[in-house]
Amino acid sequence: MTSQTGIAPPGTRDQLAPGDRIKPLAPQRALERRGRSIGWALLAPAMILLLLMTVGPAIFLIYSSLHNIQMFGGASGFVGLRNFQELLTDATFLHSLLVTLAFVVIAVGIELIVGLALALALAPKTRANGVAATLLLLPFAVTPVVSAMVFKQLLDPNYGWVNYYLSKVGLLPGQMDWLANPSTAWIALVALDIWQWTPFVALIILAGRQTLPQEVFEAASVDGSRPWQTFRYITLPMLAPFLAIAVVLRSIQAFKTFDSFQVLTGGGPGDSTEIINLGIYRTALQSFQVGAASAVGLVFLLILSALVPLLLRVVGRNAEPEKG
Amino acid sequence: MTMSTHSNFSSVPRYAGRCLLWLALLLAMVPIVFLVITSLKPEGVTRTVPPTWVFHPTIENYSSVLSTGAGSSVTFGRLLFNSAAVSVGTVILTIAVAVPAAYGLTLREFRRSKGVSSWILSTYMFPPIVAVIPLFIIAGSIGMTDRYPVLIIPYAAFNLPIAIWILRNSLHSIPVEVQEAALVDGANRPQIMWHILAPLLMPAVATAAIITLILAWNEFLLALSLTRAAAKTSPVGVQEFTGLYGTQWGNLTAASCMIAAPIVICVLILRRRVVSGLAFGAVK
Repeated sequence: MTSQTGIAPPGTRDQLAPGDRIKPLAPQRALERRGRSIGWALLAPAMILLLLMTVGPAIFLIYSSLHNIQMFGGASGFVGLRNFQELLTDATFLHSLLVTLAFVVIAVGIELIVGLALALALAPKTRANGVAATLLLLPFAVTPVVSAMVFKQLLDPNYGWVNYYLSKVGLLPGQMDWLANPSTAWIALVALDIWQWTPFVALIILAGRQTLPQEVFEAASVDGSRPWQTFRYITLPMLAPFLAIAVVLRSIQAFKTFDSFQVLTGGGPGDSTEIINLGIYRTALQSFQVGAASAVGLVFLLILSALVPLLLRVVGRNAEPEKG
Repeated sequence: MTMSTHSNFSSVPRYAGRCLLWLALLLAMVPIVFLVITSLKPEGVTRTVPPTWVFHPTIENYSSVLSTGAGSSVTFGRLLFNSAAVSVGTVILTIAVAVPAAYGLTLREFRRSKGVSSWILSTYMFPPIVAVIPLFIIAGSIGMTDRYPVLIIPYAAFNLPIAIWILRNSLHSIPVEVQEAALVDGANRPQIMWHILAPLLMPAVATAAIITLILAWNEFLLALSLTRAAAKTSPVGVQEFTGLYGTQWGNLTAASCMIAAPIVICVLILRRRVVSGLAFGAVK
């Protein structure tokens, strides 16, 4: 039980490199210095590109959040922390912060539970399961903007399939304008996210499930383990690393969600579904209040930074090459 | 005794579970069925109550969208071309930058490998919306808005964490004995790179390329913010179908199918590779 599905403990594999154990022929010191500068030289283009697109914008954000920048001319001066001060008392911002968190937790939570159920159901390698897994890939492969457009048409109050067929089987009393009402708009957005991304979660877990040794399950069955016991004490702990990967990656992606909200509700009705991403977009690119948007962006960046240690632990450790 | 109770207890719920599974999968196919069916309907029967199921399939929606492109100054064919150009450009830039970087990270003499690769991985959490603000301003002031590089460069940057990690993991998994043997045979470093490592790295390069291609093709936020007409990509174009003419479902779904089809085909063919790649190679 101690074998964690071939995943290395932290830090043990990182030092290994293809160059290991090759005894250099030239004097050690000089070669090492050269190797080091070759390393930096090889990494330079990637690092420059990344710095330019991540650290660069972050610095810009710090600067512009302290100034009241007007996008089209006009005097812009230093305003200190005023943008942040306004943020703290801004009900819209606090609301968007809250709904973003709620969206991530609820959507990812449901995706994890459904994804786990699907993965376990599809684990036995039968022909039917192969077909099912292929079908499962389809929602995940559809371009997010396209799925949002499709959901929007399906939810159309007059011609949408959802209204027609739900009322036909008696689940809906009459006409319903899903996107005009905050609670049903949220249901639509979460449903879309679940439809699109549960397959990704399920396929990660399924790939993990298929690496688990079959003997453990056979032994448990011989020992009279009930299905629930097998699941609780064997399957779940052994799948934990894969569940962690799915949850961390999905959470990061869910925080970055933009397409479905922009297309389906545009933040509406009112600002009931305006997640942070959408709020920044509208403040900066539609109202041109760069300073205010930068302050929100900076807060958003800090919140997401809290996920970095999780990402490093889960992906950084598990992605190391497996050896047996 | 255990085996018999086992099967007795589980056969009924198992059967119910299978039914539920297939029901859920069928339900999940509804949007895709809607998309494909509606795109093949003649314009007269796309929006009807109740939905029309019997009709003569036609490709007139596809041809009309490709030639005119409802609600847009450029044709949808042009938008698809833009998408393809931006995606291919992104793949080339990403691979050209990621391969040397991954190799650098696995050099034995490179002491900062762990720290640098952790930093690269951590940039995955960076929300593109935060980069959009300065990009929008800078691109506007140097006249780069609505041109390919303004999308290709950030797309490549945002795909680097995944690409570099996929390649790095692959390089790590090449046994050192392979290189040692070549060294013993008198090969120098460039020869080892070209003749030994490159062929072994090709599957990982393919994985990184396909992941980059998918993410660039699907990208919406930067394309929406940084393009107007000339470099506009198809996801931006398709969501404009609602605005101007009311929604013509035939045109909309035909355009949607043309955006989705290449990626759906890629994913179906390269299933394992795509899932493993999107998980940074953390699952096989």
